[in-house]
Amino acid sequence: MSLLIEPIQSKKSLGEEGILFVRNDSIFDTMVKVPLLVASMIIVAALLPIQSSFSTPRDLDLIIYPDGSTHISTEIDVDPFLTDYEVNLFGSTIDNLVVIGDSGFLLDVDVIDDTALIQTFGSSVITIEYDIHDLVSKQGRLWTFSLDSPSDFTLLLPKNSAIVGMTNLPLNMEIINEQNQLTLSSGSTEIDYFFSINTISSTTEEIVNEEDNSSNIIIVGIIGGIIVIALVSVIIITKNKQKNVKAIDEVVTIPKNNILDLETIFKLKPDLREDDKELIKFIFDNNGEALESELRKNFLQPRTTMWRAVKRLEREGVIEIEKKDLQNLVKLRKSMEEDN
Amino acid sequence: MKKLAFFAIIVLICGTMSPSLVNHAYGQNDPSILLRIAVQADKQIVNQLDKKYENQIPNNINILYDKGHTAVKSLGQSLSSNDIEKAKQDFLLAMNSFMQISRIMSQSSEKSIEVNVSVIPHQALESKIDRIEKFVQTLESISKKHNIVQNKVQFTEAHSLINEIRDQITSNQNPSEKITELNNLMNSIQKEIRNSIAEKQSNAIKNFFEKFLVQIHQKLIEAKDLDRNQIEIDKANELIVEIRELLSKNQINDAKKVYSELKVVLKDIGISVKIT
Repeated sequence: MSLLIEPIQSKKSLGEEGILFVRNDSIFDTMVKVPLLVASMIIVAALLPIQSSFSTPRDLDLIIYPDGSTHISTEIDVDPFLTDYEVNLFGSTIDNLVVIGDSGFLLDVDVIDDTALIQTFGSSVITIEYDIHDLVSKQGRLWTFSLDSPSDFTLLLPKNSAIVGMTNLPLNMEIINEQNQLTLSSGSTEIDYFFSINTISSTTEEIVNEEDNSSNIIIVGIIGGIIVIALVSVIIITKNKQKNVKAIDEVVTIPKNNILDLETIFKLKPDLREDDKELIKFIFDNNGEALESELRKNFLQPRTTMWRAVKRLEREGVIEIEKKDLQNLVKLRKSMEEDN
Repeated sequence: MKKLAFFAIIVLICGTMSPSLVNHAYGQNDPSILLRIAVQADKQIVNQLDKKYENQIPNNINILYDKGHTAVKSLGQSLSSNDIEKAKQDFLLAMNSFMQISRIMSQSSEKSIEVNVSVIPHQALESKIDRIEKFVQTLESISKKHNIVQNKVQFTEAHSLINEIRDQITSNQNPSEKITELNNLMNSIQKEIRNSIAEKQSNAIKNFFEKFLVQIHQKLIEAKDLDRNQIEIDKANELIVEIRELLSKNQINDAKKVYSELKVVLKDIGISVKIT
């Protein structure tokens, strides 16, 4: 048997009229194997979000104070196999810089001009907080905020400020403690504002409610879509196999009105993140329920970070979310399934 | 197999599309926000024009205002006819016109200045205290996380100082002394936190180094097989030994310094410090 690989081109045959034919199945066999293709596709799908996540801020929240100084709070995914990580700050006049690793350790930082070299030593997520004086300038009574952001960000404007000009479209707007909070997309942004009285109109709350409803509908739509796809996939697979049905997860149910104790929860969910465990502890100590805003206040987390943490715990089946007075009430579930 | 392939394709499509779907949904949030911002800006501009010019508004500003105001009206119409793309254009046009007006008005009388504490003392002091308070809260959350009991008294002191400073600002007294006191207190709180968690942090760094050095050592063996510079390889191995010794003596900071040297040597050998 010859070990020589016959090139595809040599398998061609000339038809009666000299037409070139190439056998499709030969190409397929020679080029790829189906399982290999399937595995590659799954790996690619799994890796895409990871590849794009390193070095890009997960969250970027800015608060402008009345004197134009700005508090920056950002969370960045870093490579846990690196000993240090260099990050560009938004300017060089920095105050109150704190960098926290994912175990809650204060990390050492060397700041040179507008660059910070952080000794991460194995941290996979770092939180950076600092105050900066470079983002807002003032001309007469007009204040101008300018930023070239690497990611989408939220911007909380000072109380009684009224926007009178901006260079790009806001993604969202909310009112927090009578202050406008804009969500803006990455790239260059300039916003002009004045200080004024009665800048927040009476229609504010209605609009905020509408925003909540519309975003809820979108989220429900996306989740619904994913569930439908997952169900279809499960049906296909189960029909295909109809054998070797996996053992049903153990369900632990506790009498009504009682919540699971912490030990049981952590035993059932051994893979929970440490920060998520802290959240669960807090909710547990608070009679098994807490408003999302209380969690944010207690853990000093930005809105988006806390929202993701709560959604993560909901997915894990540890908590359930209810609406109470237009706020999210987070409750520990009375029963849950064990992780395999 | 076909069904498995079909499933994989679904996973692939969902995996790649989901982030863009979410972004898309996010960007399409209630467009009436645009109208609200534009109307608010329009009102503000009218107020500012009335205050500054009364009935003698310069022609160039009048033209710009008309342009902006017309764009706001058009924005309302675009939204009611659900023409989102047009609405976005109208919004940007309106905000751009108002921005130009406000800049012309500001330029006409006053010179541009960077925000500085000395410019507006009262406002700046209040903002400064707000910022320090946020800093205190951040450190307090770290301290709570690590159950550092020693810090409790210091944080109580910090909060009472903040209240005192606020009172001084309200009563127009000079709070600089108290602010210095507060800053010193914050420095000592930070030191206390670092000292209290030093052991835990050292252990975490040691564990990290241990895994890391094993892998670097492995890479050095591979480099030796590839006939890389033997002197540099030996030097790297010596540095690894030195780091291990320092770690065993708990001299973490010295170990970090030697590690910086090791990084340079590894680079010369052609080994990336990022090891997976």
